[in-house]
Amino acid sequence: MTVLEVMERLNIKEETLVISWIKDAIHLIQSNTKEKVESTKRDLIKSVNSTDNVYILPADLVSLENISIKDTSDSKYKKIKRMTSQPHYLAEDTSP
Amino acid sequence: MSFFVDKEWFYYLRGREVLLYKLRGGSSTSRISQSGVFQSYDNEMMYPDEDIADGLRIEYTRVSEPFVAEALETTTSYESGIIISFEDGTGGSSRDIIDLGSASNDGDYTVVTKGTDGSTGYQQLEVAAGSLTTEAVGERISITQIPVEVASPLSTSHINLNKMLNLAVIDYCKAMLAEQNGEIDKKEYFMKEFFSKLGDNESNKRNISVTFPSGPFAIR
Repeated sequence: MTVLEVMERLNIKEETLVISWIKDAIHLIQSNTKEKVESTKRDLIKSVNSTDNVYILPADLVSLENISIKDTSDSKYKKIKRMTSQPHYLAEDTSP
Repeated sequence: MSFFVDKEWFYYLRGREVLLYKLRGGSSTSRISQSGVFQSYDNEMMYPDEDIADGLRIEYTRVSEPFVAEALETTTSYESGIIISFEDGTGGSSRDIIDLGSASNDGDYTVVTKGTDGSTGYQQLEVAAGSLTTEAVGERISITQIPVEVASPLSTSHINLNKMLNLAVIDYCKAMLAEQNGEIDKKEYFMKEFFSKLGDNESNKRNISVTFPSGPFAIR
C-alpha cells in the first residue's frame, strides 16, 4: 500500500504528516509485536574497572528481545538471564 | 575461554545501558575439591574477565526501512539450487554477476540489472562491482527477493508491511486524524481497531487446532 493510498483513504493532502503518522504506527507495531527483529554484535572487553562492564543499548532500539553471549567453547550465542537488581556484593576480580 | 555462558553470565538493565556480570563461583573456577566433590556455586558476581570478539549479541526491534519501492506482496521471487555461482567483474568490466548460483556470499545485494549470458544462456543478476566473492557452483544456495528501501519516502512509496498491518496503519492514521479534530471517542475506536488488527496479524501466524472430547451424553 502506498502513502498516496493512505492519504486518499483518510481524505487528507498533507503528505509529510501522513508519513510521520505511518512511522509512528510502525514504531507502535514494533513495540507491541515482533514484526521485524534485528540483531547487533559488540566486542566483549575484559573489565579492568567497574565501568568496563557497561554497554550502550542500540540507539534505535524499540523493544529488547534478548541478550546473548558467545560461548567460545562451541562458538554459539547463548541467551543470558536478566537480573532484576544490581548485585549487592560485587567482587572486582579481574584475574580469577 | 567462555563456557556455560547461559548459566554464568547475567545482565542488568540500567536505563539505556546493559551491565554484564559473571558468576564468580561458576564452572570457570570450580574444581573437584580435596574431598572429591564439586564445589557449589555461590552468589558472588564479578565483571567480565575476558575479551570475546563479537561476544555480546543484542536482539531487538527497531523501525527499520519503513518505506520500500514496491509492495511487499509483489516481492515473491525465489530461486534455489546447486547450480548458482558468483563471479566478480566478469561480463561487464564494472559489474559483478550472479549466474543464479552462489556460496559464501550471504547478504543483501541490490540488483542493478537482470540479463542472460549470451554464450551459456544462464540467467544473470548484476550487482555493484566488488560486492561478491568469486564462487563456483556446488553449494545449495537460495536467492530471495526483498524490497528496496526508500530513504526519502514520497507519496508513491510503499509501506514495508503486509496487507493486514497496512490496514492497521490506516486505523492508526484515522485515530490520529480524529484526535486532531478533537473526536476522542472516534480516536479510541480506531485505536481499538488498530490493536485488534495487530492481534489478528499475530494469530494468523499461529493457527492452533483445539480438539474437545465429546461428553458422555453427547449425541453421536
